[in-house]
Amino acid sequence: MFLSILPGRIVSLRAERLLVEFVYSLMDSEFVAEDRQKTNASLAAELEDVRLSRRGDSDAYTRLIKQHQSQVSRMLWRFSRDPLVHEELVQDVFVEAYLSLGSYREKAPFGHWLSRIATRIGYRYWKQIARRGETESFSLAEWDELPGKSTDDIDPGRAAEMLHRLLAQLRPRDRLVLTLRYLEGCDVAETARRTGWTKSLVKVQSRRARKRLEKLFAQAGKGLRG
Amino acid sequence: MKNERLFEALSARARSESPPSVDVAGRVIAILNAEQNRIEQLTEKPLLWLAAASSALAVPAVVVAIIVYNASTGPLYEISQAIAWVAQ
Repeated sequence: MFLSILPGRIVSLRAERLLVEFVYSLMDSEFVAEDRQKTNASLAAELEDVRLSRRGDSDAYTRLIKQHQSQVSRMLWRFSRDPLVHEELVQDVFVEAYLSLGSYREKAPFGHWLSRIATRIGYRYWKQIARRGETESFSLAEWDELPGKSTDDIDPGRAAEMLHRLLAQLRPRDRLVLTLRYLEGCDVAETARRTGWTKSLVKVQSRRARKRLEKLFAQAGKGLRG
Repeated sequence: MKNERLFEALSARARSESPPSVDVAGRVIAILNAEQNRIEQLTEKPLLWLAAASSALAVPAVVVAIIVYNASTGPLYEISQAIAWVAQ
């Protein structure tokens, strides 16, 4: 901005913009480098905690739990919205993770490895529910009450609750793939990583699950605003 | 497909939901400690039974050994051994 008031406007506005972009990019690269350094340091500390935990250091494992429990909690909130069950599932993830620490190869960050365990535990919980034949109540009436043009006004908690009840009508396999793809916003590769399925299986499963979801809407008697 | 679009829009909205905060560190460590103790007890128990069984077998074996030793070193046994040697 200040360059444009120089006598004779030596520097054109375009050049000024380029200069500003260049300065910003320099600043960005500094921040990125700093961030990367911090990330590397925290990853190294995390790895050290994993190694100490393997040798039975409970303080190190407590640090790992405290570092990752909010991430695991967020993931498992998709699997159960009952606070007691949810907390138990989070607990199970860390117990199971500790018991299988020997299988952690240290190639990916510890959080990625935990997310696979969390997905497995959540999926196992859904399968248990399905075996017991417990289904949550579901009605499309609630969907019809949604505001007409935009979903931006809906409370995120309410949106999640509605989707949770809807997806609970599907088989665990379909529910899992739709939850990961839509609610968690995972791409095919990430879904495959979390579920341990192949990418092509994820694609096929997603397609089938979407068809079943559509069928579910149709069976419920009305297409939404359709 | 309107249903799917609505589903996607709600999913995007639901992503910004924050879950209830949990702190499971204390309970996880307690569970792991209890599990560790249970495993240790399980591995110790067979060893205890083995020790008890071998002690139970060892005691009569020692008693029998003492009786045999006493019998084989008595004066009558020594005389009979001497006669047998002379007879050869």
